[in-house]
Amino acid sequence: MVTTPDTRTAPRSARRLGGGRGRRSGRRRYGDLPIALTFLLPAVIAAVVLRLWPTARAVWDSLRSTPLGVEPTRWVGLDQFRWLIDDPAFLNSLKVTLLFGIIVNPLQIAVALVLAVIFNERIRGAGLMRTLVFLPVAIPQSVSAVIWAVAFRPDGPLNGILDRLGIAPQGFLTSPGQALPSIILVVSWIGVGYWMMFLIAGLKEIDPTLYEAAGLDGAGRWARFRHVTVPQLRRQLAFVLVADTISNLLVFAPVQILTNGGPNGRTNLIMNDVFERAYTQVDVGAASAATVVVVVIALAIVLVQFRLLSRGSD
Amino acid sequence: MVLLGTLIAAAFVLPLWWTVASALRPQRETFATISPVSLWTLVPRDLTLGNFTRLFDTDFAQAMLNSAIVTLGTLIGGLAICAAAAFALAVLQFPGRAVFFAVMVVSFLIPFDAIAIPLMSIFRGAGLENSYLALILPGIGNGFAVFLLRGFFLGIPSELTEAARMDGLGWWGVFWRIYLPLSRPALIGAGLILFVFQWQAYLWPLLIAPDPEMKVAPVAIAQFAGQQGVDFGAIFAGATMTLLVPLLVLLFFQRYFTQSVSASGVKG
Repeated sequence: MVTTPDTRTAPRSARRLGGGRGRRSGRRRYGDLPIALTFLLPAVIAAVVLRLWPTARAVWDSLRSTPLGVEPTRWVGLDQFRWLIDDPAFLNSLKVTLLFGIIVNPLQIAVALVLAVIFNERIRGAGLMRTLVFLPVAIPQSVSAVIWAVAFRPDGPLNGILDRLGIAPQGFLTSPGQALPSIILVVSWIGVGYWMMFLIAGLKEIDPTLYEAAGLDGAGRWARFRHVTVPQLRRQLAFVLVADTISNLLVFAPVQILTNGGPNGRTNLIMNDVFERAYTQVDVGAASAATVVVVVIALAIVLVQFRLLSRGSD
Repeated sequence: MVLLGTLIAAAFVLPLWWTVASALRPQRETFATISPVSLWTLVPRDLTLGNFTRLFDTDFAQAMLNSAIVTLGTLIGGLAICAAAAFALAVLQFPGRAVFFAVMVVSFLIPFDAIAIPLMSIFRGAGLENSYLALILPGIGNGFAVFLLRGFFLGIPSELTEAARMDGLGWWGVFWRIYLPLSRPALIGAGLILFVFQWQAYLWPLLIAPDPEMKVAPVAIAQFAGQQGVDFGAIFAGATMTLLVPLLVLLFFQRYFTQSVSASGVKG
């Protein structure tokens, strides 16, 4: 979430960080420290207590075992992780999460990019249209899931539409082959408006003369998109790719409400698996180990982001 | 282009339109209007508020109130904390600034939902479960809001600050009388980020506030829908209430949110 394009402000902050002014008067420099701490401390405490501490707690809990949530706990070292890897349910959730990610991330980014290009045009009512596409982002995901749960019912409107088209009713969420695609549909309906907004912000920063130059060279719509829009959006696309991948790694409410991981584990994304371990099975050790796995995957994705972005700014 | 845009926007809104339409029609017609699908699926023939009155006979009213309290608390606390931190990181000079910055960046790289379960153990240990405080706290420290505000603050000319300091204005005065009034768009953007995060919240409230008195609307609706013999009319009414709030907020602040996501750099 952090590395939104920030290049324009860099020179200014570099100037302020530079030693020149600070060295001029050491007393004044240190004089700012107490006031700076009063401004900063609440946020730093929030960051430590709400993020770092629970992460450390997850690591700590993952090294111990608390059968059925009842004390006493005992130290088991890395055994929790070994048990997880041997657990077919966990392996299945990793596989489902990977499959889901491979499909949903490129799909959402492609759709978001197309929507961004369309809604960046100077057309009447573009602002309102953007807001409407963005709206599902701001609605609680659980509420969206409940609405779609009704929509997917055998007697729901989706089958109603299919009926009109003369197509036999589909199982959707109860069908092993259609459940994951159904979740992908819902999650994308919720999310693409969000990523679209980042890309629109990026489109607005593209120098219009680049398009004029491409136009003079006889480039058509598609050529301009490929050779101007996409390269100029590289940083935003890299950011959106990573932020979207992380947010899709953490999908929970739609899964828990629409399928609860079923049928037969086909939609058991990793967060649903972690939740089941913590809540239904009350296995703190295993849930913590699985939590550590999720955090490690998320941080690995962020590292990829830094790679992508540092290459992008060359 | 206008036609294409309108069609796309309509496609995104369709499920929500149907939700609102279903909330306004008698419950027996919820499914009756679906097969066969017709225009009447989207237009309620007999308008009624019966679904809403039945909804408010349940504990949903309390859940809406809880959501409102938690979201308002998050907005006030979150803006204060994030703006103060952003000010320190953007304007003040002090030793260790880079370290604090690094701690914040690393912390907020850890997605909140991923660590919600261990955080629950910590909060329970502190006896905080089923409290507004527990529901609000995770929303107030938002890295995204801090970095958005910081980017905006960096764009405010330092000459203003220097002149004010010359005139004897303290740092709190600089923050309160110069930076905050000049940063309205960024504050609204940060407020939108905080609002969306908290109005959405599901996993955390589910974990930390299971008490019926303390349920927030997203959790209440999900559990409502999971019951036997579901009252679909009431569910659509509840969904309508939770979607009208963000709709109004977004329509009102429409022009700010492209700015809010483009984060820093726009004015810098």
